[in-house]
Amino acid sequence: MTEHSRGFVRDNALSLAFGGLFLATLVGQALSGAADYNAQQIADGLEPVSLLDYVTSSSFGVDVMENWQSEYLQFFLYIFGTVWLIQRGSAESKKPGEEGPESDEEQRIGRHATEDSPEWARAGGWRTTLFSRSLGLLMGGLFLLTWAASSIAGWAAFNSEQLGRRQDPVSWLGYLAEADFWNRSFQNWQSEMLAVGSMAVFSVYLRQRGSPESKPVGVAHAETGQTG
Amino acid sequence: MNRSGAWSRARALPVALATAGMLLTGCSSMQQPEVQGVAVTFEDPGADPGARCDLLAPATLAEFEKSESAACTEAIEQVPLEGGEVESVEIWGGNAQVRLAGDTLFLTETRAGWRVSAAACESRGEAPYDCEVDGP
Repeated sequence: MTEHSRGFVRDNALSLAFGGLFLATLVGQALSGAADYNAQQIADGLEPVSLLDYVTSSSFGVDVMENWQSEYLQFFLYIFGTVWLIQRGSAESKKPGEEGPESDEEQRIGRHATEDSPEWARAGGWRTTLFSRSLGLLMGGLFLLTWAASSIAGWAAFNSEQLGRRQDPVSWLGYLAEADFWNRSFQNWQSEMLAVGSMAVFSVYLRQRGSPESKPVGVAHAETGQTG
Repeated sequence: MNRSGAWSRARALPVALATAGMLLTGCSSMQQPEVQGVAVTFEDPGADPGARCDLLAPATLAEFEKSESAACTEAIEQVPLEGGEVESVEIWGGNAQVRLAGDTLFLTETRAGWRVSAAACESRGEAPYDCEVDGP
């Protein structure tokens, strides 16, 4: 490994580690999901399917998409929510009184932009307005896209189950009114809201030495918005 | 400004949905002739009882013979299979439903091809169909 590539790995260790963990856990889901699916097939007197058939099935598709959509919803809500809502003492929050989109000077946009500011932060007009909200908008867009994909894969999986139970299939709009779709959505949403809410509160009173997700160990509980 | 980039981003969702829709309908439309063929052959009034039993899914064949306490070739002759024109075919994953003018059948995909998993089925609204020939 050259010094240059070692530098790249070190500079991107967080995203590389989580990218690798994502792929490993997705493979884990595919293998365990196929085993679970085939156990149900055998219990129903049906033939097991191959791993390839399983990972291209609507059953695997909806299990993946329903989790992705809730993660992007979580980040979308958190990114926009933390603009306006604070949690006194939390490392995840801005300081009380800083609620809102803040001034151009604080955000270093327009004429307050510096030489190394991104081009669209300097550009002004719609480009700066859009770039100023691009992170939240991307998360919101990915949420809508993966939620739509979840509804389509869920619809196909639901109809396959309906036929297996000797019941009529439903239309896509019909599926959106089914309890299955909303149960899948809400069971993922509630866990994301719990995770975000508890993180905001736990970071008031607990510390993780060296983590930017935590305040420095010695900082007072009442201190808001510090990271260490 | 990159107009083509903006165009492709603006249409990303509809294109993704259309692709997903094509995959869903494309896969099922490729299988429709076989599914329909098995259902029509099974319900053909002139079909040989042995040929009908060969078209039953293994679990359905075993359950049918057990519940009737008779060989399939004998028991199948007592089942009213009205057949008729194909009214609709629905294929979702490894399961299918074929509505004929006189009957509704359910099929499942096996290694040997599509096989009948339930036949002589009567609709009961939102409750499962009541089928004279069915699996476990």
